[in-house]
Amino acid sequence: MKKLMVVLIACLGMPLAQAALAQDNVIRIGAIYPLSGALASTGSELKQAIELAVDVINKPHPELKDIPLAAGAGLPHLGGAKVEVVFADSQGKPEVGQAEAQRLIDQEHVVALIGAYQSAVTKTTSRIAEQRAMPFLNPESSSPDLTERGYKWFFRTTPNDETFIGNMMQFLDEVKAVPTKKIGVVYENTDFGVNTYKALQDFAKRSGREIVVNVAYAAGTASVNSESQKLAAAKPDVAIFASYTSDALLFVRTMREMNYAPPIFLANDAGFIDSRFVSEVGPQVQGVLTRDVWANDLYTIKPVIKQLNDLFKSRSGGKELNGNSARSLQGMLVLADAIDRAGSTKPDAIRQALASTNLDADRIVMPWAGVKFDSKGQNEKGQGLILQLEGDGYHTVWPDRYKQMKNLPVLPFTWKH
Amino acid sequence: MLEAFVTGLSNGLIYAVVAVGLALIWGITDVINFAHGDFLMLGMYAAYWMFTLGHVDPTLAAPIAACALGFVGFLAYALIIRPLQRGPVMIVILATFGLGLVLRQLAFIFFSPDYRNLPDTWLSGGIRLAGVSLGRPQVVTGLVSLVVIGVLFVLVYRTRWGSALQAVAEDRQAASLVGIASDRVNAQVWMLGSAMVGLAGALLTTFFYVFPSVGAVFGLLSFVAVAMGGFGSLPGAFLSGILIGVIEAMTGYLIAPAFKTASVFVAFLLVLWYRPRGLFGRW
Amino acid sequence: MSRTGAAVLALAVVLLAAFPLVVGDPFYQQVVVMMLMYGALGAAWNLVGGFLGRVSFGHAVFLGLGAYTTLLLLRTHVTPWLGIPVGGLVAAAIAFVVGRPTLRLSGHYFAMATLALLAMTHVLVVNWSWAGGAVGLEAPIANNAWLLLFRSRAPYYWIAFVLALFTLCATFALARAKAGYYWRAINGDEAAARSLGVPADRYKMLAFALSAALTGAWGGFYSIYIGFIDPDSAFNLTLSIQIVLVAILGGVGTIIGPWLGAALLIPLAEGTRIAMGGSGSGLDLLLYGLAIILVSLFLPSGLVTLRLRRGAARR
Repeated sequence: MKKLMVVLIACLGMPLAQAALAQDNVIRIGAIYPLSGALASTGSELKQAIELAVDVINKPHPELKDIPLAAGAGLPHLGGAKVEVVFADSQGKPEVGQAEAQRLIDQEHVVALIGAYQSAVTKTTSRIAEQRAMPFLNPESSSPDLTERGYKWFFRTTPNDETFIGNMMQFLDEVKAVPTKKIGVVYENTDFGVNTYKALQDFAKRSGREIVVNVAYAAGTASVNSESQKLAAAKPDVAIFASYTSDALLFVRTMREMNYAPPIFLANDAGFIDSRFVSEVGPQVQGVLTRDVWANDLYTIKPVIKQLNDLFKSRSGGKELNGNSARSLQGMLVLADAIDRAGSTKPDAIRQALASTNLDADRIVMPWAGVKFDSKGQNEKGQGLILQLEGDGYHTVWPDRYKQMKNLPVLPFTWKH
Repeated sequence: MLEAFVTGLSNGLIYAVVAVGLALIWGITDVINFAHGDFLMLGMYAAYWMFTLGHVDPTLAAPIAACALGFVGFLAYALIIRPLQRGPVMIVILATFGLGLVLRQLAFIFFSPDYRNLPDTWLSGGIRLAGVSLGRPQVVTGLVSLVVIGVLFVLVYRTRWGSALQAVAEDRQAASLVGIASDRVNAQVWMLGSAMVGLAGALLTTFFYVFPSVGAVFGLLSFVAVAMGGFGSLPGAFLSGILIGVIEAMTGYLIAPAFKTASVFVAFLLVLWYRPRGLFGRW
Repeated sequence: MSRTGAAVLALAVVLLAAFPLVVGDPFYQQVVVMMLMYGALGAAWNLVGGFLGRVSFGHAVFLGLGAYTTLLLLRTHVTPWLGIPVGGLVAAAIAFVVGRPTLRLSGHYFAMATLALLAMTHVLVVNWSWAGGAVGLEAPIANNAWLLLFRSRAPYYWIAFVLALFTLCATFALARAKAGYYWRAINGDEAAARSLGVPADRYKMLAFALSAALTGAWGGFYSIYIGFIDPDSAFNLTLSIQIVLVAILGGVGTIIGPWLGAALLIPLAEGTRIAMGGSGSGLDLLLYGLAIILVSLFLPSGLVTLRLRRGAARR
């Protein structure tokens, strides 16, 4: 019995030991991401991106002049206070994310929360924030429902699926080389996939296109032969995928072996932009298109993109920023800027500052028109890009004004053997 | 439809070879090895690293991976399973669950959570068989599985050693009465079963991605295959594996891919309805 | 149960009742709520897995059924005061339906059949868009006792405490009642029990349905506590196995066992995650796995044996 008590006390004592003393000169922000489990590879990249953002804020980076808080060290309106991010692992599970959100608020005394990549986890973590009247900034989740809940404390910098799918249709409208009328959708049966499909149903109709096949599949499946065969049988002009990395890898492999090449192979971000995907199967799937929010070749238009990418590469052992990590970075910068403008760590002040955020295109790192939240907390100035995989990375093909390589897009898509 | 059926067979062979290793361990030592999927994962990593660092093709790496996993199986038995055999049955389940978690986490720590994919190996490319296009890696893996399982059957059902295994499975005490060292048999079974799954893992890398939690993808279905085939029956596990592959593929084709695994479970429950001991179960 | 045992139990109950008054930190309250929940789930599982001796790996299916029932009813403005018990009833009803074919299966097959049920239900709910499909269901945020929705964690603690107490008393009473004796008889040797006149089928079904009912009610609680459920979290294999772990770790077939198991496993999981999870190093889960292995090696009959070794009676 005594042994048991000792063990129990030790286990309960660990969190006590972790409770840091609140320091005056440090602003603590809680970040909840999947640092273990199936999405750990993405989660760790997001963590690195946020750590880079913290570096930009805390240390002087005069070369990034227009980005708020970059030039100086710390938050000027709070006496040069430094930002400290406390990371918590959601393990990819909504209930764990929720517990961590609570812990960050109660034990780590954070002033705001940021996270959580997966829409389901964002739902539960932001719920805690809303219940506790704590600002929550969501940089990456694209599910439209998140801003339909009537929450007052939830702010989302990334555009949601409605914008993104709309962008896809706009891109397809401009494609003349091959027909784009018939769409086949392959999506994982999760919040992400289902929302992609719903948005596609809506926008396809609006743009006069027809969904000829929809293939819902269970994520993490052992084989995608059935799914690929069903897609191939319907002979769509455009095949749109909503998959995370593991399934994306499997689809590429399977479709290549089947020698089935949809004339337009278009992905909705996620797994297809994962750096592992690009490095592992990039050479095989040249010509795949993806909706993204970031492209490293845009640095001629926005030099800060290259500067940040170089910084990220040196910190992450060679990985490049992509749409996921760049959004986390941007989200962190926006949140810190709002806290700075608030000039206080009181939740309500931060909330007001967030609500009145109005950053122009040149003061953000993303290739967007800016950051301004509407009444639901959604950034209304974001937009997506369409990229194509050419060589060892993705290059912008849409909007036209961002296109660097004039020969893109290369269509139709074929397999390189 | 033929295409669906043939790919189902091909997938099924993979499930089968994973299931047979599990069936061996489960049937003869009466232990549900929750770490089985993670053994598979280790086999996959072994082949991956041998290729990436040593440029050894997975087909050659497979026997080496098998030996490595055989050793892992032996360690698992000696350090964890054997001490617990005297305790309540269920505690072993707990321990193998812990073992699986530990293996997964070690892979996470040492190999990082990144997904890894082998580039083209000897086996890459497609084949056309009777008008159906299949991946060459899957076909070769399937054939090798058949051979390996065939060898196993010969070992278990046609040799003296095999008879000893069956004896221990039927009645441990009686077997030791006739002089069969059941402890040694258990260790051998764990080694053999683990070696099989290590081999399967190595071959899997020719067409499947590797990451620490990859065991979960094949793990559950291999458990179902063993149960559906009937505990104690190796041919049962083999046939069920194939059956599962076919059911998945046919459901994907005829109904919808979203219900692939659901129909496997429905089929499983139906089998149990009519045959409460699985297809060929002995007990 | 011995006098000292009863005294210790009573003390534990009083301490737990007073806990939120003493410790105001919602995080610690959360950990204890989870302990109570898993302890109760383990205790409910024990009716089938411990007393009756049929290991069920798919028990989370009842949790999910209860959770979905409660939130779906809430969506139609039915209060969880009703929704939670109805969730339990729905789970029991499903148990009744699936119990008939599955309970005649022997050990391993039964375990796998419950797993199959869990996995099947998961897929069905994912594809059922009326019930939220893959996106799941969310409860509104409110501070409304009628709807059992609160902004702070403390009221949930009380609900969990009451539910846990109820579960404990229920399992205790059942173990002492005729049902408990019949179950243990069936566990020991079903054929012999039948020959002695034990109505085995009826009592097996009773164990299964009661276990499902308790689990389902807790599922209802879980849904309003987290405020969000989706198929992945409600019909989760890992959760299902956690329930089994808690019961086994504590001591299968004992009344107190699951509560002890939860008291160790939950703080251990939380503690390791808090200490190390944020770094993403994976060490936290490694330690958790190692702890499980070590505990099973050194305490093969469960935590309960720590106490029993000193006492005279076994079970």
